[in-house]
Amino acid sequence: MNADRTPRWAHFWLAMVTILMVSPLAWMVLTSLKGPDQLAAAPYSWWPSPWRWQNYADAVATIPFLRYLLNSILLCLGSVAGTLLSCSVVAYGFSRLRWPGRDLLFGALIATMLLPWQVTMVPRFLVIRELGLYDSLWALVLPKFFAEAFYVFLLRQFFLTVPQEMIDAARVDGCSELGVLWRVMLPLARPALATVALLETIAAWNDYGGPLLYLNDPERFPLAYGLEQFVSAHSSQMHLLMAAAVLFTLPMVLLFVLAQRVFVRGIATTGLKG
Amino acid sequence: MHRSESRIGVAMISPWLVGFCVLTLFPFGASLYWSFCRYDLLSEPAWVGLDNYRRLAGELAEGGSFARALANTAYYALASVTLSVVLGITLASSLAWKVRGRAFYRTLCFLPTVVPTVAAAVLWLWLLDPQLGLINGFLQKLNLPAQGWFQSTSAAGWPPAWPGDHAGRVFGSKDGLVLMSLWGVGNLLVIYLAALSDIPKTLYEAAELDGAGRTRQFWHVTLPMLTPVVFFNVVMGLIQSVQAFTQIYLVSDGQGDPAGSTLTLSLHLFLTAFKDLDMGYASAMAWVLFVLVTLVTAWLFRTSRHWVHV
Repeated sequence: MNADRTPRWAHFWLAMVTILMVSPLAWMVLTSLKGPDQLAAAPYSWWPSPWRWQNYADAVATIPFLRYLLNSILLCLGSVAGTLLSCSVVAYGFSRLRWPGRDLLFGALIATMLLPWQVTMVPRFLVIRELGLYDSLWALVLPKFFAEAFYVFLLRQFFLTVPQEMIDAARVDGCSELGVLWRVMLPLARPALATVALLETIAAWNDYGGPLLYLNDPERFPLAYGLEQFVSAHSSQMHLLMAAAVLFTLPMVLLFVLAQRVFVRGIATTGLKG
Repeated sequence: MHRSESRIGVAMISPWLVGFCVLTLFPFGASLYWSFCRYDLLSEPAWVGLDNYRRLAGELAEGGSFARALANTAYYALASVTLSVVLGITLASSLAWKVRGRAFYRTLCFLPTVVPTVAAAVLWLWLLDPQLGLINGFLQKLNLPAQGWFQSTSAAGWPPAWPGDHAGRVFGSKDGLVLMSLWGVGNLLVIYLAALSDIPKTLYEAAELDGAGRTRQFWHVTLPMLTPVVFFNVVMGLIQSVQAFTQIYLVSDGQGDPAGSTLTLSLHLFLTAFKDLDMGYASAMAWVLFVLVTLVTAWLFRTSRHWVHV
């Protein structure tokens, strides 16, 4: 009796599939190290010769890379701070406090998750512009301080699992509701908070539509948008382009390597990347 | 006590409530109102009744850009969702095998998912380059015809011109986008793998006692047990592919190139609003999109009774 249903050719098949999935990445890295003369050379060779590390210095020098990087980091930090702060308070209000109309409003919150962003895109743009935020990183960061529905939902699910006795004990000891949130809920919810922080970091780092809509001054471009500007300006220099793409991808790969468990848990509990 | 709990509760959710009113509810109402107006941002919105919707219907009737965008969106959504289900189940089933190095295979198959959309778009533009690209080079090694990818209008152009512009050229720009979306199948793999490991061993043992081979076990045990995840995959995939914007904007030169073959609803809407400054018409389009997505999702939920195993 064949207990596990593993065929004999399992390794061969898995290796093939894995090579197919990873080869685009390998190609990106290897191309980023080639000289311009090697790009279209026939016969085609995967290996750069010689390995031109210089490409990375050139790519960084061709765009205001550090400026873009700084903007991206500011964007990530601001978004994560705003998200964690607002979503944890809101999630507590929706989970551990009783008040009239709570479930109705929570229903509205869930409904906003199903609303395609295109429906609110135009008026939202005008609101942000009226607030004087156009062409500022705040246009992208400020909305994060108003608690995104999806993260509220995620944290609320977690908060609901905390035993009522722990909350009552803290209240008896004289904790205010914010104190309960800070001293009881948040320390327990660390894994959920890590998931939220991770998802929001990725979202902020990757966001392209936001900068496209709200930013105009190159001084404020984050990397995601700056990279694209590079594409239009230097579309023939594939090797430099790939070097820039590698530099832009690398932090996400590092994050994945360091926080693989948070990643997998995040997807398993939410079903999405963000 | 109770009154203060109410007050604190409302105070705590107020950040969301303010954001909801200003950034969602007001825009929601405004875009509905503007869909009945002519509005170019410079002058006040002017009520035009159903004109914008009539214009949409007209374009639909004579095969204008809106019809085209609708067809392109449908093509992209159907192809990428269907193939992601097939690929997700196939890959996850293989990655569930108990072989040595399983974690290694899984990690590498997930890795493409962490590549940011902008970087992935830039990468695939070159991988699928008709002359220098890796994929066409590979096809030629196998003695298959080179494909046009992002430089050719693809199978489901408007009106449909399949099979291709000349012999053997089947794959075009939308197929390139589908390929790109399949590369990021990693998220789905995680969910399918979790579902696979939740299937009780006893079901397979029972099937084996009944004389079911590996193939029949797959069709009669694995697949039915996976249908809830397939349903999730289809609904979320549909919503996401209809809303997809960044990669489409990037591979199409920001305008649906070549020849409008990648002009999807979300791109068309964006260009109508921010390039043509035709906010009224864009809002009408957004509402049609919203109603369509809602109807399709509702239809999926209704039919799910017949095929989702609970």
